[in-house]
Amino acid sequence: MTDSTTELPVAAIEQRIGEFLEAKTRTTWERDVDLFASGAVSSLFAMELVVFVEGAFGIQVEGADLAMDNFRTVERMSALVTRLHSGGGGA
Amino acid sequence: MLDALSALVTETVADAASEWDVSGEIPVGVLRGLGAKGVLCAEAKPEFGGLGLSGADNGRLAAHTGALCSSLRSVMTSQGMAAWTIQRFGDRAQRGEYIGRLTGGDLAAVAFSEPGAGSDLSAMTTEIRHEGGEIVVDGLKTWITVAGYADWIVVFGRYEGGGAVALVPASAPGVRVTRVAEPLGCRAAGHATVVLDDVRLPERHLLAVAGQPVLMLTTIALTYGRLSVAWGCVGILRACLTAAARHAARREQFGKPLLQHQLVARHLAELYAAERTATFACEQASRSWDDGSPEQVQAAVLAKHVAAGNAARGAASALQVLASAGAAGGHVVERAFRDAKLMEVIEGSNEICQLMLAEHAASAVG
Repeated sequence: MTDSTTELPVAAIEQRIGEFLEAKTRTTWERDVDLFASGAVSSLFAMELVVFVEGAFGIQVEGADLAMDNFRTVERMSALVTRLHSGGGGA
Repeated sequence: MLDALSALVTETVADAASEWDVSGEIPVGVLRGLGAKGVLCAEAKPEFGGLGLSGADNGRLAAHTGALCSSLRSVMTSQGMAAWTIQRFGDRAQRGEYIGRLTGGDLAAVAFSEPGAGSDLSAMTTEIRHEGGEIVVDGLKTWITVAGYADWIVVFGRYEGGGAVALVPASAPGVRVTRVAEPLGCRAAGHATVVLDDVRLPERHLLAVAGQPVLMLTTIALTYGRLSVAWGCVGILRACLTAAARHAARREQFGKPLLQHQLVARHLAELYAAERTATFACEQASRSWDDGSPEQVQAAVLAKHVAAGNAARGAASALQVLASAGAAGGHVVERAFRDAKLMEVIEGSNEICQLMLAEHAASAVG
């Protein structure tokens, strides 16, 4: 768990997400590539991603934030983490 | 706290489980009483009136309850899954209001399955739409656990090209609930058919997550349900193990206790192994859940699959050991035999679990 008062650089967030994705899919993902369009991602994996992001960055993704669009690319996940991490408010 | 809650369940069930099973009914006051004490969704957060139990302790409570009465454990699974669904998919106001109701004595059912959508939940056709500042829910849900008792039906349906979840009061105009007559197992769990005919509700009854893919929504909700059912199956196995061990030690045939007949002893050994392996799978899955590990998703499927299969085989073995002594209607082993079979069907049938586990195993080697 990460202290929610700590600043997290975008590059570090994206690297952590990228490592998780690579370990899980055995593929490297560019930051703007759509994970779901590739068909490589199942509904079980979508939930794994949510749980991973929560655990790795000490956030909770609930309500309207729990949108596939927020998990579609490394870039979007990182933006979600940054917003929720800085207390930018869940739904 | 777990010990106190377990004691409360023991005291509440007392010797009534058999009677509840035979009559197909748990007095609704009993359910509301447990609900108002937070026992039925014990993982709900204290800020919503919940007890804030860890996933592991909530699982152990489900096992304790399942060993006494699988119908009551089913109510617990349903209520807990409803609270979890609202926690995940609702906004702040919805969490506060509706989880608060579930820890205050209201009872909830979760409605996934339909005549054309059982294992294939993506085929569900229940429709949720906006109309004139309200939401409208239309559809037919079948075999909905607890619906016969419920104040709230948590309805999963299609919504604007994706899925959504509506919180439908069972008393709303257009809702008709009809009990399933004499279900095979968990006979007092209130299984019912739910007709939703042009049900109109204020928009706050639509959980905030609306529009996301149906399977993402059902997978998240069912992960809770699978863990709870898995632990309930551990309870079934414990009840069977106790009954079979006691009987095998006391009952004599051919001049010696059954336990000294090797073919009977084998049943007992396998029952013990089944209870232990199911417990280990559940402990591991709940640890992943409590740690926030992504492994929880597969671990819950694995636990459910192992525990349900073990419970079905274990209950059959226990019945074989007890024979006529366990075959009377409502006997703990007779109930286990029927209840466990149903556990191989719900919350992802054996075959659906196998497909998910096969996919996971294949993806692990790339």
